[in-house]
Amino acid sequence: MKQGDTHEKVMIEKVDRAMFVRYAGASGDFNPIHWSEDFAKSAGYPTVFAQGMFTAGVLGTFLTDWVGEENVRRFRTRFVGQVWPDEAITCKAEVTSVGEGSAEVKLLVTNEKGEKKIDGDATVIL
Amino acid sequence: MTQTASRTLAERLQEFVGKPYGGPTVARDPVNEPMIRHLTDALGDRNPVYTDESFAKRSVHGGIVAPATSLQVWTMQGLVPRRSDGEDPQSRLMSMVDAEGYVGVVATNCEQIYHRYLRPGDLLTVSSEVESVTGPKTTGLGEGYFITTLQTYRDQSGEVVGEMRFRILKFKPSTPKPKKSDIPPPPRDSAFFWEGVEAGELRIQRCSSCGTLRHPPRPLCWKCRSKEWDFIVASGRGEVYSFVVHHRPEVPGRTHPFAVALVSLAEGTRIVGNVIDVDPSDVRIGMGVELVFADNERGRTLPQWRPAR
Repeated sequence: MKQGDTHEKVMIEKVDRAMFVRYAGASGDFNPIHWSEDFAKSAGYPTVFAQGMFTAGVLGTFLTDWVGEENVRRFRTRFVGQVWPDEAITCKAEVTSVGEGSAEVKLLVTNEKGEKKIDGDATVIL
Repeated sequence: MTQTASRTLAERLQEFVGKPYGGPTVARDPVNEPMIRHLTDALGDRNPVYTDESFAKRSVHGGIVAPATSLQVWTMQGLVPRRSDGEDPQSRLMSMVDAEGYVGVVATNCEQIYHRYLRPGDLLTVSSEVESVTGPKTTGLGEGYFITTLQTYRDQSGEVVGEMRFRILKFKPSTPKPKKSDIPPPPRDSAFFWEGVEAGELRIQRCSSCGTLRHPPRPLCWKCRSKEWDFIVASGRGEVYSFVVHHRPEVPGRTHPFAVALVSLAEGTRIVGNVIDVDPSDVRIGMGVELVFADNERGRTLPQWRPAR
């Protein structure tokens, strides 16, 4: 792994609201804003949207698939925009620096239009 | 909201910084393989080190581990949150910002640091403290406060296994205009009422057997249990039986405060409605009111009330 290395993958081609329901059950985040159409609308949103930690988890899978799950030490995400049903989740990574035994990786999640959903970074060991 | 009040809230919120926020809370269940499978299914993660014992044995972990990003999952409260007496720091902080109208909440940042991978059988305990509170700040969602908490996860032997810095934004929702199409169609029992509203009539259900009036519409007479009914058209005269003046939480699209009254109709039953064309602080019990059909913030015509002329 060297500075400037990049990796990109479409992790989910079409987000399905069932994914939010499955993640709610698996993660214990039962906030109805992620699965109840009525609740989401009453809160001023057009429809339900993904748990931030769901998308972060998908990004985590992308990262561990690439660098190996045994090598991730730190993982930071900033929730920039909501992920809506029917969008794609595309993950991108770029190695920004390589140090003594570890590297810093910049991370990005976008939809199919390139709209930013999450940006973040991680520390991985080499 | 005045500047002074905002500053006061900001100052009061600083008192939480550096102090415990929640916990220590022990996970309901140890890290376990069924939940790991649910998680990896939900995330679409097919790495066999999380699910295949023989594969995991040959890996650097020497056995099944949980995905690192599941750190915060194990100590979640579940579908039925634990009861709080409202005196814990989290409840006090949240009610403090809610009370000032910052009722919206959205997660904005999450940083996790992994000290070691979690294995089935690990029983986590989480404790958290408030790292910082900043605001009020203008954001795309509305004015709000960023609240950053630091969660520390320990295993059954007290060893720190991970840390999470989590930031939420508590904001004053800007008030989008709800669409008329959001209005549900009336149920069968109350269709006559809404048809009356369209026709400019306040229709009140009447039992055909005993003549008792009832509102809101329902299928059975509360007095004689008859299912037979017709309706009368109310005169539109009444008086305030009781009322509230609503300040918070803010209702999207509405101007605050507003008065909602339980109105005794001249004909004899009572109905809930907004009192308009009056300063809410001037509404009184016993005040004479008259019916007016007016649109609400969703553009729906409703029977409302104004001081009798």
